[in-house]
Amino acid sequence: MAKIIAVHSYKGGTGKTLLSLNLAVLYANRGKNVCLFDLDFRAPSLQSILAVKSAEYWVNDYLNGVYDIKKVLVDLSKTHTKRGSLLVGFANPSTEAIREMSAKDRKWEMKALGRLLSLKNSLLDDMHIDYIILDTSPGLQYSSINAIVSADLVLVVSGMDISDIKGTQRMIDELYDLFEKKTGLIMNKVFADFLSSKGHRQDLARKLIDSKLPVVDMIPCYCDILRTGGTLLFANDKPDHPFVKILDRVATTVDKL
Amino acid sequence: MTVRKLEGTQTRLLQKIKESLDRLNDKMEVIIELQKHSSPVNPDIPDVLDVMTLLSLPDHLRKTAITLCKLEQATAEEVAEQTKRARAVESSYLNQLVMMGYLKKERRGRKAYFYVDKEEVNKTWQKS
Repeated sequence: MAKIIAVHSYKGGTGKTLLSLNLAVLYANRGKNVCLFDLDFRAPSLQSILAVKSAEYWVNDYLNGVYDIKKVLVDLSKTHTKRGSLLVGFANPSTEAIREMSAKDRKWEMKALGRLLSLKNSLLDDMHIDYIILDTSPGLQYSSINAIVSADLVLVVSGMDISDIKGTQRMIDELYDLFEKKTGLIMNKVFADFLSSKGHRQDLARKLIDSKLPVVDMIPCYCDILRTGGTLLFANDKPDHPFVKILDRVATTVDKL
Repeated sequence: MTVRKLEGTQTRLLQKIKESLDRLNDKMEVIIELQKHSSPVNPDIPDVLDVMTLLSLPDHLRKTAITLCKLEQATAEEVAEQTKRARAVESSYLNQLVMMGYLKKERRGRKAYFYVDKEEVNKTWQKS
C-alpha cells in the first residue's frame, strides 16, 4: 500500500511540481500521511509556491548527512490539508546551495542514493507515511536518477512536443525499464481541441498506445492555471476545477499501479 | 580434567582451522572469478557504485548491485532471497562486483558480508 512515487520528465516545464504538489494534497485530503520532497536542486520551487517563509533545514542537509530526516521535514498539515498529514522537505533555493549541489562528486551521489533508499525504512515504516512523492529535476542527471532508483513507481510527465514524447520514450526504454520500475505517463498541457471530441481523443490515445507508452491520463492545457502563476493550490482552492477532478482520477489509478 | 582441557584446546584449534579455511575459500572464489574474466580490471573505472555505474552494468549484475544498495549490507543468501535467484548465482555476481571494485567483502564468523561503503553501514549523524 505505502509507496514512493518519483515524478519525472524529460524536459523542463512539463508540470511536475504542479502535479506533485496537488497529488500530495489530494492524497492527504483522503486522510493519508504524505511526504513531499523537492529534489530539484538546480531550480528549487516548492518553497516559493507554498510561501513558506523560513524553512530552517533543507533536504540538502539530509543528503549531506548533517541532519536527520525528521528535522528537515516541515509539517504543513494544519494549513494545507483538510484531513491526513502533509510533510514537506524543501530544497535550498539559495544560489550558493544550488552551486554547491551542482559540484557534488560521484562518491557523494552514491551516499545520497543510500540516504534516499533508507527513507523507505525511516518514513514508510517508522513514521507511518503512506506516500512519499519525489519532485525531481528534468532529464538524466544524478538527483533525478537517484530518485527514480529509490522509488516504487515513476510518474513521467510529458507535453505534446515531439521532442518531449521521443525523449520520454527513450527514458522509458533506457532508464526506467533498466531499473525495473513501474511507469505511468501523464500527458500534460494537451490542446483542448485534441480532447474535445471523442473521435480526436480516441485517435490520440491510439497513437500513444501504438508507441507503447503507458498512458495513465491526459490533462488539457488550462489557461486559468497558467494565469494564477502558481499562487493557487488548486486541490484546496478550486476543488471543483476539472484539473483537480482529473488529478483525483490519477491518484486512484496510481494506487492500482 | 587434563583430558577435558586437552579436548577443549583441540576443539578451539579445529574451529580456528575451519575459519582460516573459510577465509581461504573466499579468496579462492575471487581468484577463480578473476581467472574466468581474464581481462584485467580496467584501472580507469572508478570504484564508485553510483547510479551512472548502475546504468552501465549488465542487467544481471545491476539487479544484484541495486539489491545490495537497498540492503546496505548482506550475505549472498539475503540478496538471493530478494532477487529470487540461487544463492550460488548471487555469490558469484557479488564476488564479480567485489572484483570490479564496487563492493567490499568482510567475513564475520562463518558468514561473508558484502557492502557498498563502510561509512554508509555505520551511518552516524553529526548533529541531530
